[in-house]
Amino acid sequence: MKKITTLIIAIAALLVSCDKIEGPYVVSSGREAVTVDFPEIDGGVYRKVLLEEYTGHRCVNCPSAHQKLEELHGIFQDTLITVGIHATALANTTMSFPYDFRTEAGNQLANDFGISSVPAGIVNRVPHTGGWGKDEWYNKIMEVDRSKVYAAIQVINQYDFPATGNLKVNAKVSMLEAYEHPLSLSLFLIEDGIIKPQMDGEEMVTEYTHNHVLRAAINGTYGGMLTENGVLEKGNGYTYGYSVSFAGKDWVPEHCSVVAILFDKVTGEVLQVEKAPVIL
Amino acid sequence: MSKKLRIIALGLLLCSLTTSMAQHQLGNSRISGDFGFNGMYYIPDSLIGAEPVDSKVRANAFINLLYSNGGFSAGVRYEYYQFPLLDFEKIDYKGQGVRYFFADYKNSFIQVTTGNFYDQFGNGLTLRAYEDRQLGIDNSLLGARVKVTPYKGIYIKGVWGIERLNFESYAGRNDYVRGLDGEVALGELIPKMQEKGFTANIGASFVSKFEKASDEINVTLFPDDTANRTAGTITTDKIPQNVPVWATRLSFGYKGFRLDGEYAQKMNDPNITNGYIYKKGDALFLSATYSMKGFGVAASFIRADNMDFRSQRMQNKNSLLFINNIPAINRQYSYQLIGNYSYASQPNSQIGAQIQVNYQIPKKSKLGGKYGTDLTFNYSRFHNTDQQPVDAALEYGTMAGTDGYTSSFFKFGPELLYQDIGLEISHRFTKQWKLILAYNYITYNLTELQGHGGMMRGHLVAADLTYKVNTKHSLRLEAQHLYTKDDKGSWVYGMLEYSISPRWFISVGDQWNYGNADPNMRLHYYNIAGAFVWNTTRIALNFGKTQEGILCIGGVCRAVPASYGVGLSLTTSF
Repeated sequence: MKKITTLIIAIAALLVSCDKIEGPYVVSSGREAVTVDFPEIDGGVYRKVLLEEYTGHRCVNCPSAHQKLEELHGIFQDTLITVGIHATALANTTMSFPYDFRTEAGNQLANDFGISSVPAGIVNRVPHTGGWGKDEWYNKIMEVDRSKVYAAIQVINQYDFPATGNLKVNAKVSMLEAYEHPLSLSLFLIEDGIIKPQMDGEEMVTEYTHNHVLRAAINGTYGGMLTENGVLEKGNGYTYGYSVSFAGKDWVPEHCSVVAILFDKVTGEVLQVEKAPVIL
Repeated sequence: MSKKLRIIALGLLLCSLTTSMAQHQLGNSRISGDFGFNGMYYIPDSLIGAEPVDSKVRANAFINLLYSNGGFSAGVRYEYYQFPLLDFEKIDYKGQGVRYFFADYKNSFIQVTTGNFYDQFGNGLTLRAYEDRQLGIDNSLLGARVKVTPYKGIYIKGVWGIERLNFESYAGRNDYVRGLDGEVALGELIPKMQEKGFTANIGASFVSKFEKASDEINVTLFPDDTANRTAGTITTDKIPQNVPVWATRLSFGYKGFRLDGEYAQKMNDPNITNGYIYKKGDALFLSATYSMKGFGVAASFIRADNMDFRSQRMQNKNSLLFINNIPAINRQYSYQLIGNYSYASQPNSQIGAQIQVNYQIPKKSKLGGKYGTDLTFNYSRFHNTDQQPVDAALEYGTMAGTDGYTSSFFKFGPELLYQDIGLEISHRFTKQWKLILAYNYITYNLTELQGHGGMMRGHLVAADLTYKVNTKHSLRLEAQHLYTKDDKGSWVYGMLEYSISPRWFISVGDQWNYGNADPNMRLHYYNIAGAFVWNTTRIALNFGKTQEGILCIGGVCRAVPASYGVGLSLTTSF
């Protein structure tokens, strides 16, 4: 009888594995309703390409990569959108390089794409461990099948200056083709014309102009889905609103832009990307 | 299932058909089993909605084999549902293989089972692993079970296993169930109590399910407010992986009186069926019966709130992966015309009661006649439970991701789900003639129970007349009329059955939807059936049409697609 009692107590102890959850249970993603009217799409939609350039202010070869970027922008014009991500050890701060360009999202992306040295580039989030060297960027951009225009993205920014320093990003994704996988929309804030030191070969340039610098992933590193299951239907439009505050930041609104990235949640591949200045 | 096992199972299947159907006995060993085949040749009929079937012929087949020797037994069931009847394909019961096998040993102190097993704790509020072949339900657990009887009248059992999910693989599953149940039968412990006509049992059970929380849950906040609609996330650390249900029960009897009661409570279990709320669930089942010669009364009460308890939180199909079962207490009917208005038990929101009174007008009285007259009256009514949204639900405009609502325990909610008022009179006029007359007024909330159609209110009148030609031959006539202005309108049904006991029976019947608002849909659903019985073997053939609807057994329902064709069924045991 004693053994049985012990057995029952032992079994009961195993069973008393209850997870009592304390509230609040749900966190708001911060997604907001849009507060603008989007114009009709005029039909001239083309597929743009995202180049995420991994860089660092102590990287001696990065300025030559920046030069390559400018060449590519000259070739591809507004069909190429660049986000400059300061990451890896060469982006760390030192006495000579006290300004911290790094972001949580940038570090996560560098980690996820296996970026261990810079300069390196990832085109449309097609995985390639370590990223591509600058001489491969042109080829990788050309490999993107631009005949497939899955979606159009419209971005309208509302910046409340100087009252609150709040930026409301209004985005709309219009599906032009059917797509079976769930999709996510990332909103990145980037800034041009930041004057800070940069190594260039053996030389330290104290007033170097840093462009396309990732400042913040407004709605998280990998953004958010536009529907509960993420699947978007052909012919439908989906709006998405999100706010970010400039208060306490040294970001210059006139130099900032929002980059909206629509990507496949399963493969990670970017389907469409759009860029819009914070202040027109 | 491995190829080898499949070959063995097929071999057993064939052997069982070709050898004698007698029970096999070798020393103390005994082999028994049963076989079932149910096939149909489908004919398309666009009017009733019977769609063309590519393969034309579909069938379900299974064989059970059981070996026993003293306290040891072992069994296996092979199922062939690769191209099943359309009903079963609709509920994803499709595949083949050995999905049931077990080995069991028992003596007076202990019983141990490994493999698949079925079991129930109390009234099933915490655990009911069962099989209903007609409904396509098999919630067996694959694992281990131990039953112990430490003292006469004290029963303890523990279960541990993974629930069956149709023909899907158990490999890679991240969910399982464990449970413990104890019962004390005071009547057995104290024989004097039993001698004086008292019985009393008390019991308690505890069941916990584990399911890994690997994906966060997305919900929509302010869903009805387009200006503020926001996505919300329940992160994995806020999803309970271990969800318990516990219950206590009591039954008491004294002579013709019996009282049963069980109360169960479930801890936070956000899932797809309850809209991801964290409210505790609870259920109360009460039943009281009293009977004496010529008179009986049975009353029962059920309340279930947020008690849909399944192995997987994202499962909401049919009755898949139900761990528990909230019993339906309404009177069950076999009348064809109200088959589609059978009440399905609502584990997440129902409160209701049922009372049935049986009275026999004495034999040889003026009204009772030579054989007496049986009267049965019943009334049942079910509502949803009272639900008042909590503050957080009002704030977010949704109950998802909150404690949901509060509920006054005995208060009926605003939605009437089902009501039935019925009277049945059964009278035998002579040895040859017997008549059953029934009237029912049914109120059935199609919107809440089937998702469409509003409220159906209908009057059913049914007559069942049997004429016994001689000791072996009998003729039975069944006639029904359902009068309603709702749903598909009124119906009539007639059926004539001739049986030659114990071998043969044949029947012809027709349902006519004469009251359909659309004159083109005033269709006939005729059926001709025949069966032959030889010892333990029954072969039945039928031809006819079945309307689209639902099939319910004991308050558990499944959808039935429209069909037309020839059916053949064969069952045998050995």
